[in-house]
Amino acid sequence: MPAGGLATEALLLGISSGPVCLASCSPVLLPVLAAERKSAWGTGALLAEFLAGRLGGYLGFACLAWLLGLSLNLEPRARIMVYGLCDAGLAVLLAAYAMGLQTAPEKSCEHGCPASRARRFNDRYRTFAPVSLGFVSGLTLCPPFVAAGVRAAETSSLPQALLFFACFFVGTSIWFLPSVSLAVVERFAAVAVVARFTLFLLAAWYAYAAVIILGRYFLHA
Amino acid sequence: MPERTLRAAPRSWGKSLLLTLPILLWSLLMFSRAAMQPGRAPKLAAAVTLLLMAALFFQMVRTFETHRWRRYFFVALGFLFPIGFIWDLVALRGSMSIPVERMLSGDTPFCFIVIPMMIVPAALLGTIVFPGSVLATASNPHAISAMVALWLVATLLLGKGWCSYGCFFGGIEEGFAAVAKKPRIKKLDARLRWMPWAVLATVVLLTAALLEPVYCTWLCPFKAVTEYLQVRSFETAFQAGIFAVLFLGLVVVLPLVTKKRTQCSFLCPFGAFQSLFNKTSAFDVRIDRSKCQPCVLCEKACPTLSIGAESLESGKPRLSCMKCGACVDACVRGAVVWHIKGTPVGTSAERARLMHLYSAWGFAVLFGGGIIANTLAKLFGLLV
Amino acid sequence: MKRWRAILGNTAAVATLAILLTTPFLYGWFQKGVAALDLRIDPQYTGGEVARVIQREGYQVVVRKPVPRRTPLQRVDPFVQMTWTPAAKLPAQVSDEIDLDGDGRPDLLVTFDTTHLKLDVTPRNAGYRAVRCSGVVSFSELIARVNDGIVVRVPLR
Repeated sequence: MPAGGLATEALLLGISSGPVCLASCSPVLLPVLAAERKSAWGTGALLAEFLAGRLGGYLGFACLAWLLGLSLNLEPRARIMVYGLCDAGLAVLLAAYAMGLQTAPEKSCEHGCPASRARRFNDRYRTFAPVSLGFVSGLTLCPPFVAAGVRAAETSSLPQALLFFACFFVGTSIWFLPSVSLAVVERFAAVAVVARFTLFLLAAWYAYAAVIILGRYFLHA
Repeated sequence: MPERTLRAAPRSWGKSLLLTLPILLWSLLMFSRAAMQPGRAPKLAAAVTLLLMAALFFQMVRTFETHRWRRYFFVALGFLFPIGFIWDLVALRGSMSIPVERMLSGDTPFCFIVIPMMIVPAALLGTIVFPGSVLATASNPHAISAMVALWLVATLLLGKGWCSYGCFFGGIEEGFAAVAKKPRIKKLDARLRWMPWAVLATVVLLTAALLEPVYCTWLCPFKAVTEYLQVRSFETAFQAGIFAVLFLGLVVVLPLVTKKRTQCSFLCPFGAFQSLFNKTSAFDVRIDRSKCQPCVLCEKACPTLSIGAESLESGKPRLSCMKCGACVDACVRGAVVWHIKGTPVGTSAERARLMHLYSAWGFAVLFGGGIIANTLAKLFGLLV
Repeated sequence: MKRWRAILGNTAAVATLAILLTTPFLYGWFQKGVAALDLRIDPQYTGGEVARVIQREGYQVVVRKPVPRRTPLQRVDPFVQMTWTPAAKLPAQVSDEIDLDGDGRPDLLVTFDTTHLKLDVTPRNAGYRAVRCSGVVSFSELIARVNDGIVVRVPLR
């Protein structure tokens, strides 16, 4: 199939699948964008980091699957394990990020006590949070990604497969662009408080989901 | 129109009756259908409810106070609604728990709290993630379209005033909050008032991702007095435990010790959602800064922490104001007043109050009054 | 400007009363308006759109389109729903070969007992999971009496 036709097919597949990707990534992405309270450019940069992490998750899993000779269309039990581990990962990352958010005024704390070390760790983690959250979100193998991966594998060459997958990813990512509009909440200080509470609630949800999913996996082993 | 001043004398009986007349006529219209039902119980219930609503409105007009009289209606609604609802459930299927079979047949009664959660899946997928019926059926009169239509009307009329005149759950905690003479816990962390927004964001995001009404399945304390998924597994037992703990904590115990509506202030996502519609309502409460000498009686009286230091500075309560009137009635200097948006603050405050009351109380008669009459008819049916 | 704002504000206040007064008369229209938005109850509750109806002697089997997984976080597994109706006319023991996709080949052997609602599903192709249950296991695996039918849901692979 000519490259142009393949790219169009992939882009359209991505656009049609975008709402699903947006719905499943939103619980992780939107509170983080709101919490950082950056300008439109800053929010756009955070979104780009998240999407890069997400792409890394997709490609990382695809590489691993190729190396191990597995199909992307995992057996149900294997899929359960992947979901459970990803939920556990998201719970830990979201809770760590929420704890790192400062909602009180900045305090000077440079005299080497454990609190300042924890604070420095949190600050550093915050820099990588969007990428790491995007990466773990990308590992969850949403159905459109699996379908696109299977379709990409049917193409005649590796460059064509990569082109297909890249265009599919761009198509899904178009749906994420409106989330940059969250920059409008930059001027509301309370948004950081709300976002922090939201992140803790979501972390609790993902932790519960991980326990149930992994419990089901091991109980039915 | 005489303005309310410091401890104003009550309005005359004649004027008060005249001002109550439209509500009396409206109530007659609203309850006439109930009165035509066979048997003495529905007629008696309609008559009692009509008299109750008219009498409370009369007192609101006569005494220039809103909150105290509104609260009688609201607490009655809060306690009578679960009684009538549970009665119907037990009559229909012998239990408060809803089996999956009833969900599959679309028989789950729809609750307004689901509305904010429904929006994103409805927009993206065209589906309603609730096991109800779009239109009323014989086995499910509480259809989605009916409740959404009512919500729309109430929101246009009242904004967040729904939480003071429409919500059939809020009266339960308002009743418990009124029990103690003084609060045992006076200081509450002001940041907690942002929790409803966090709960709203969480349930909206998770509902779109999970395609199930997350607040209903996990966090609604009022499942304890309405219906809940049949306990068949560890998960449903865990969920039932959460409902019971939240109900006892936020609806019973904390209102008793704080004299605040703590479920509304610290959890309810629908309340946060409804706050947005305070922007569209024609009425609000304002603080006339020329008369205010910050005694903070209004702040202490507010059941939802909607008045703070910045409110006294700016002359406006926070967006979470549910127009219950507690602050207006508590202010001894007449500085906190009812207000029609666009008009000068403090002039014609009583006219603003009455215009708001006609809309709000009219809706209360239409909706809450109907629920009260319905339950009373069941109770009176046992006696007559 | 102040005068115009006051006029608008008072007009809005009067309009609020007008909305209230029209509510009992327009309530039916409000409902129809909401219903006309063409929103459906989510297929995880309704079972999905009807795909075909298979006629049997004395009863029929309503086969619905499969309900797929739509988001990765969705907790209801993909399933396909069939309804045997009317329940009153079903024999005590039902055993049916069901062709779900209309290709002329049976996809499932469904056997159930209408009194105790014990279900046994043997898949004839790899697209469906075997089921052995009594009553409701989950939203995607169940046998239940719903109105005048027996509803069976079989999870997809």
